Amino acid sequence: MASLLQPERVNYLVTGEKKIRSPLSSLYFCRYCSELRSLECVSHEVDSHYCPSCLENMPSAEAKLKKNRCANCFDCPCCMHTLSTRATNIPAPLPDDPAKTTMKKAYYLACGFCRWTSRDVGMADKSVASGGWQEPENPHAQRIYKLIEYYQQLAQREKLERDRKKFARRRPYMPLAFSQHTIHVVEKYGLGTRLQRQRSGAPITSLAGLSLKEGEDQKEIKIEPAQALDEVEPLPEDCYTGPVNLPEVTTLRQRLLQPDFQPAGASHMYPKHKHLLIKRSLRCRKCEHNLSKPEFNPTSIKFKIQLVAVNYIPDVRIMSIPNLRCMKESQVLLTLTNPVENVTHVTLLNCEDGDADDINSTAKVVVPSKELVLAGKDAAAEYDELAEPQDFQDDPDIVAFRKSNKIGFFIKVTPQRDDRDVTVSFKIRHDFRNLSAPIRPSEEGEPPSEAVWLTHHVELSLGPLAP
Amino acid sequence: MADTNAKQMAQKSAKIAAGAVVCVESEIKGDVTIGPRTVVHPKARIIAEAGPIIIGEGNLIEEQALIINCYPENIMPDTEGVEPKTMTIGTNNVFEVGCVSQALKIGDNNVIESKAEVGRNVILTSGCIIGACCQVNTCELIPENTVIYGSGCMRRVQTERPQPQTLQLDFLMKILPNYHHLKKTVKGNATPGKI
Repeated sequence: MASLLQPERVNYLVTGEKKIRSPLSSLYFCRYCSELRSLECVSHEVDSHYCPSCLENMPSAEAKLKKNRCANCFDCPCCMHTLSTRATNIPAPLPDDPAKTTMKKAYYLACGFCRWTSRDVGMADKSVASGGWQEPENPHAQRIYKLIEYYQQLAQREKLERDRKKFARRRPYMPLAFSQHTIHVVEKYGLGTRLQRQRSGAPITSLAGLSLKEGEDQKEIKIEPAQALDEVEPLPEDCYTGPVNLPEVTTLRQRLLQPDFQPAGASHMYPKHKHLLIKRSLRCRKCEHNLSKPEFNPTSIKFKIQLVAVNYIPDVRIMSIPNLRCMKESQVLLTLTNPVENVTHVTLLNCEDGDADDINSTAKVVVPSKELVLAGKDAAAEYDELAEPQDFQDDPDIVAFRKSNKIGFFIKVTPQRDDRDVTVSFKIRHDFRNLSAPIRPSEEGEPPSEAVWLTHHVELSLGPLAP
Repeated sequence: MADTNAKQMAQKSAKIAAGAVVCVESEIKGDVTIGPRTVVHPKARIIAEAGPIIIGEGNLIEEQALIINCYPENIMPDTEGVEPKTMTIGTNNVFEVGCVSQALKIGDNNVIESKAEVGRNVILTSGCIIGACCQVNTCELIPENTVIYGSGCMRRVQTERPQPQTLQLDFLMKILPNYHHLKKTVKGNATPGKI
């Protein structure tokens, strides 16, 4: 269960641009480079925008125009749950005879979670089921448009200068918020899409000439610098003395959800258009092959390409940990699972002295000296009663048990420090047969399914010492 | 002998007004009065141990809901000189699946959502909604139309009170007798044994 419930207990080291230690379940395996890849060392690309509520697809230009929000779906301003449209019948006077009334359908927005409704803030009901909700005008909209225009112009100018220096030869990568070093700010200030869409192979000179002309055509946009105020609006007199009516006041989260208005009172909370989500594909930086590519349709959760590491790399898991005591050797039972269909040979190696990757271990470890042989994965083995038991000449001192494509084995751990949790690390070396790899360049003269030997650095955190 | 037993049982068991639908599989203990048009689902529990429970009209008490008038922590059942306190529940309230209500006074049109808990010292006025899994065990009077929601038990006041579940009640009153035996109502008790 370690990969599901406690994934951080077993970490594999990825040696990309930066060394990342991460559980196997969150890693990718580039089978063209035969290396592990983490989210930090792949490029993230936006495939499509879609609304998580109505699952409508949207091209990126349109998404940008709509500020990455869905036109039809709303979030509750109170609890951020998706709002639903509710229909009611209300009496309305007949157009020809005002004295008589008829039942008329009316629609309003309601939250199924906190029971907020658009009627709560005095928004009038609509006669059509979708759309038509008036939106409060941002008082600073004009200024913002002006600033955007100005900065686009600046970006354009910078871009031109860069193009002249023949500097820009990079694909547009999406900067990811959680990524620490993949940020390639190519799209500065939301410059028009035409410029960035070019591939690195496109002739730059012609394009630079074209945009130069554009630049000349454009008028210079000037903005007034913002003025600092000496005096700010004073607080209301009863700010410190008046009692606070909590249901009337918005929380910080509710306020910041509407950055353009930041309503202080619950009566000014208006529904917010729902944020779009993206489908994203991942690409190996080194060989530019796709590591993950989702199907285009937002209703589909399948992938066209999904090279996750758990499908290719033997999975080390902790099965049982005895009471660990400082300077005492104990045996820890681990399992090793083979995810591929052919037999895999695994050798475990100790980290050598002065290994630069071995920075976290707090215990000495003795790993099995012999090669471990893992049977191939057979999805039907569980149901195949007639299958003959596999015949592996296992040394019972090393292999504790064997079950289809999994073995259990012991490592000997001697904690060295009594003030820290026990962490051990070792290298795992295994053969990998690249069955569906691209045909290699013929000058190498190797058959395509030649086994390659891969070595990974694995760290296990075995928890605290026994009291 | 059998007659006196039956009489005692009749006295002890719930007083269910005509028009109420109370399934036999529900557990009703002690002095409980159930008003007309109230629906009690199977496996709902209404337990009056520290005093009577009076449930008004048009209430919906769903499966595994627990309405209990229990002894406060500091008073043991055998403590003497304790005045039994009556629990009153108004009209058109909804007790959703798995909720626990110990509140001694509940007004009208309240909704206690699934798995929510209301403490003994809480007074629900009317139109209040205690959201799913919210636990309210303060000592306070919850103002009208308050909604308590979310993991942080956030509060807001809504303009409209929740709609009474008339349609749902009508439907249940039609459908429940088809599949469940019902407890006898007051009218039925008055003439036992007659066909």
